[in-house]
Amino acid sequence: MDYLAEKYFRKRKTPSTACSGCGLGQVQKMLAKAIDDLDLKIEDIIWAASIGCSGRQTFGMWKGDGVAATHGRLYAMMSGLSLALPPEKRIICTVGDGDAFGIGLLHLLNAARRNVNMTIVVCDNLGYQSTGGQYSWTTPASSVTDSSPYGMYEPNWVQDGRDILRVIKEAGATFLARHVSMDGEFGVESMKMALQNRGLSLVHVVFPCVTNYASTALGSRNAVTVFRWIKSHSRHLDEPVDENTIWQTGVIYDASNSRVDYASLMRDKTQELKVRSR
Amino acid sequence: MKRYLETGNFAIAQGAMLAGCRMFVGYPITPATELAEAMSRHLPSVGGYYVQAEDECAAMHICIGGALGGLKVMTGTSGPGYILYADPYGWAIASEIPIVVLNSGRVGPVSGITGAPGQGEFYNVRFPTQGGNFETIVLAPNSAQEAMQLTIEAFYLSERFRTPVTLLADQLVTDGMEDISIPETDEEKQQMGLRFKEREICRGPEFYPPVDAIDLPPVVLGHNTGALCSDWTPTEEGYDTEEVESCHKRAYRLIYKIRNHRDLITRYEAFGMDDAELVVASFGTPSRVVKSAVKQAREKGMKVGALRLISLWPFPDELFQKKTTYLSVELNYDGQLVREIKRACPKDSQVHFMGQCGELPRIDELLTAFRGILDGKNVSVPKWQGEAW
Repeated sequence: MDYLAEKYFRKRKTPSTACSGCGLGQVQKMLAKAIDDLDLKIEDIIWAASIGCSGRQTFGMWKGDGVAATHGRLYAMMSGLSLALPPEKRIICTVGDGDAFGIGLLHLLNAARRNVNMTIVVCDNLGYQSTGGQYSWTTPASSVTDSSPYGMYEPNWVQDGRDILRVIKEAGATFLARHVSMDGEFGVESMKMALQNRGLSLVHVVFPCVTNYASTALGSRNAVTVFRWIKSHSRHLDEPVDENTIWQTGVIYDASNSRVDYASLMRDKTQELKVRSR
Repeated sequence: MKRYLETGNFAIAQGAMLAGCRMFVGYPITPATELAEAMSRHLPSVGGYYVQAEDECAAMHICIGGALGGLKVMTGTSGPGYILYADPYGWAIASEIPIVVLNSGRVGPVSGITGAPGQGEFYNVRFPTQGGNFETIVLAPNSAQEAMQLTIEAFYLSERFRTPVTLLADQLVTDGMEDISIPETDEEKQQMGLRFKEREICRGPEFYPPVDAIDLPPVVLGHNTGALCSDWTPTEEGYDTEEVESCHKRAYRLIYKIRNHRDLITRYEAFGMDDAELVVASFGTPSRVVKSAVKQAREKGMKVGALRLISLWPFPDELFQKKTTYLSVELNYDGQLVREIKRACPKDSQVHFMGQCGELPRIDELLTAFRGILDGKNVSVPKWQGEAW
């Protein structure tokens, strides 16, 4: 077993029950490596997951405390938890694209406004794959999926000049990055930065789904095909883009530790009001 | 004892703080807005957090988060907001999270009439979420003073049973102004019969044992217990599973931890029941008019008794075992409590329904109905033709 999995993940959840060729393990490994590099303690991290492939696979994986919320509401739940936790504890969320940018977007934006101290890793497999492969708001334009049999023609959140991360930035998030799961050490560095921001950090990581997305959109269940396809549609932020570029990767926005996080704000303000009322 | 002339919303806020509530998450809605306002004003003075959420669904999720961190939490709303609790309410039932929730009934359906009392939520509070396989605890005050006391009881029960508890009030209870006595000393609290329970922390490794026992501490995160909680069917350690056997075990626990300890929950007020040929059942504000009407009826020689439910769920079937005639007086037109009475009472009992919405029944209307029923007639509310149920 992987040395990081052995150190941080529970035996019951490793190896995972993900489909053969799934790229989610790459995302988990990047995150585990970032945690290891920063020498964070197992007991100081609350691991929060949600629904779908990324939720079901990552819930109960962390050796410490774990929670999985209702679909899309994790950001609200963690806003509450952050107020109740001791300051040294931190929250890491592994969620899907449908969770963060679809059903949970309202709560995510409000968590960003509050600058809730948590690191959100959006594990984006380009659609709703655990239900069989329907399009989401990160599914690339014209992709054939089970719910877009004529090609995805609804505007998504990541192309044609729209970028969901810009929306989240304007809402008040203090660290934003985007990667593809093959980014390796490059992605680990962004995750380390995300974990060192006391505030809302979000790292969007695109990873390949062989079973559903690749099968319908790319016409192949060959893992190498979809891995290459995703890699070839990503560009480092410093590189010039071309007509193939969907994902520009790297640190999109870094305002780490530039404004007070929600729990600190609430704790200080409540303490001040408590003293004043005496 | 501190005395106030204040609203039920204010009384509930005072009760919550006495019970140790340290997080309130609100979203403005008539007639529960003043509860949020009172909490925003007073909670910080005891070191508690007031949070205003983006919607009611978020409000209860934020509450869950606070409870998962070890705080006693509360939220409050009316029908249109309560329906948005469906999602987190289910999560809290399933993961066994103590939370206290106020639902102050106005006139429905949907937004209906905001500033008038209604009781269309009787079943909604029993089935606040989807999926079934659970039992719920619901308390229904009929005055500001009782709302304060039942808020404290709701916190107590939510801790002992590891479950959300709904306080089902109505617009007259929460918006109406009345005399309120708030206890200050332990002796005063005892005199009022108030019960308190502090938060404890489940140490595991069995976070979800398949037993009907109460007094299991709830899951609290951040204490190095390796706790797991989710909306999936849990194994005893909290892992998600698709095994049907685990589903059976958890359904047994969620239903029978409550049903098998209903003696701790059931509360009611009965009056003139011994010789009653007609039992008038009600809850919430209408019960106050019913009580006056029953007293007057008895003075006139009618053998009428009043039965007021203080706890609504689990439904107290045992109170309806007498073979007699029942009348359910409710603030709705479709008849809700009456259905449960029909189900619970002996087969050959007669059950009548008298319902209206937005305003209370008058004493003379009730007396006419009592007389009619005792004379063997079927009753229906004036202006409302035919049998409503």
